[in-house]
Amino acid sequence: MQRSVLCSVFGSAFGSLLLLPALAQAQSAATASTPDLNGIWQAMNTANWELEAHAAEAGPIASLGALLAVPAGVAYVVEDNIPYLPAALEKRQANRLQRWTADPEIKCYMPGVPRANYLPYPFQIVQGADTILMSYEFADAVRTVHMQDPGPAPAKSWMGWNVGHWEGNSLVVEITDQNNQTWLDRSGNFHSDKLHVTERYTPMGSDMLLYEATLTDPEVFAAAWTIRMPLYRRKEANAQLIEFKCIPFAESVLYDAIGR
Amino acid sequence: MKQTIGLISLMVLAAGQQPVMAHHSFAAEFDIDKPIQLQGKVTQVEFMNPHSWIHIEVTNTKGEAEQWEIEGGTPNTLFRKGINQDTLAIGTEIVVEGYQSRDGANRASGRNLTLTDGRKLFIEGSSTP
Repeated sequence: MQRSVLCSVFGSAFGSLLLLPALAQAQSAATASTPDLNGIWQAMNTANWELEAHAAEAGPIASLGALLAVPAGVAYVVEDNIPYLPAALEKRQANRLQRWTADPEIKCYMPGVPRANYLPYPFQIVQGADTILMSYEFADAVRTVHMQDPGPAPAKSWMGWNVGHWEGNSLVVEITDQNNQTWLDRSGNFHSDKLHVTERYTPMGSDMLLYEATLTDPEVFAAAWTIRMPLYRRKEANAQLIEFKCIPFAESVLYDAIGR
Repeated sequence: MKQTIGLISLMVLAAGQQPVMAHHSFAAEFDIDKPIQLQGKVTQVEFMNPHSWIHIEVTNTKGEAEQWEIEGGTPNTLFRKGINQDTLAIGTEIVVEGYQSRDGANRASGRNLTLTDGRKLFIEGSSTP
């Protein structure tokens, strides 16, 4: 009771006072017409385990019991299932059977888009007027979103060629020219180097973004499909990206075959 | 003297453990006495650090197709010289001059690359001597 009174009395008065400096800061960083996406964000779900709805299952090492078990999850795909072409669906099933050895995350490869955004690691958005940097804790991956047309991509890359624009309150990013080495989750969902991703970041209040990514890939999917999930602001006073340079952890997997 | 032996053993060690695609000196991997010129079609380009690799299919003197891997500089080095995924699109006919690998494999450090429009570009494999 005491707590609710305190909340109602002080919540509105002091709460808005406390928010003022934060708002002022936000407005200085973004132009008057665009929202401020600066901050450290993270998905809080099991999409990285599997984008489609899935039950919990045992992990790869029996002696570790529940420790590395796969948590269950709902569908993060708007259409429920990913519309694979028949041959691609077979490849996805084959990938899934070797998920504990073939997932590029094991090798510390840069995760590609959209997977980078729902890895269980935070990422930071640093917003400028002409470019927006997205910096990821996992593998030190980064991508630069060009808000002016940068011309065609010089080469295919892990994190693709990112070109953005604002549509109302949403940051829309078109990503092309990713290589075909990344997966979309730990369950073998994949794409080719013809993947085109259209991302949409829409603020839902000051501490949440609605993240949507529409994927088309004529070699893998029969139709466009969309991933949708919230991204949450990391609110710890000392929230920050900390190094996760994972190549040393993956050295044995990467190099034993050719003799370290 | 001790320093020379140290240097030699270091080089031997480096050569013995060298993964094919790793960063290396020219001498550890390629032979200055095996200059080659190849003409072929691009089958794959890997723009990656520390060296990019251009894969080409070459027809040898017997009329057989051979696959060659040509080492170039870093992606940034190549982009700045005007080489990108469009100039080296799959199927592009190129002439490459370079130096073959010491072990005689179909692999070479690239030096000059000539496109069919006559443009000649330095592709800067391992610091060519």
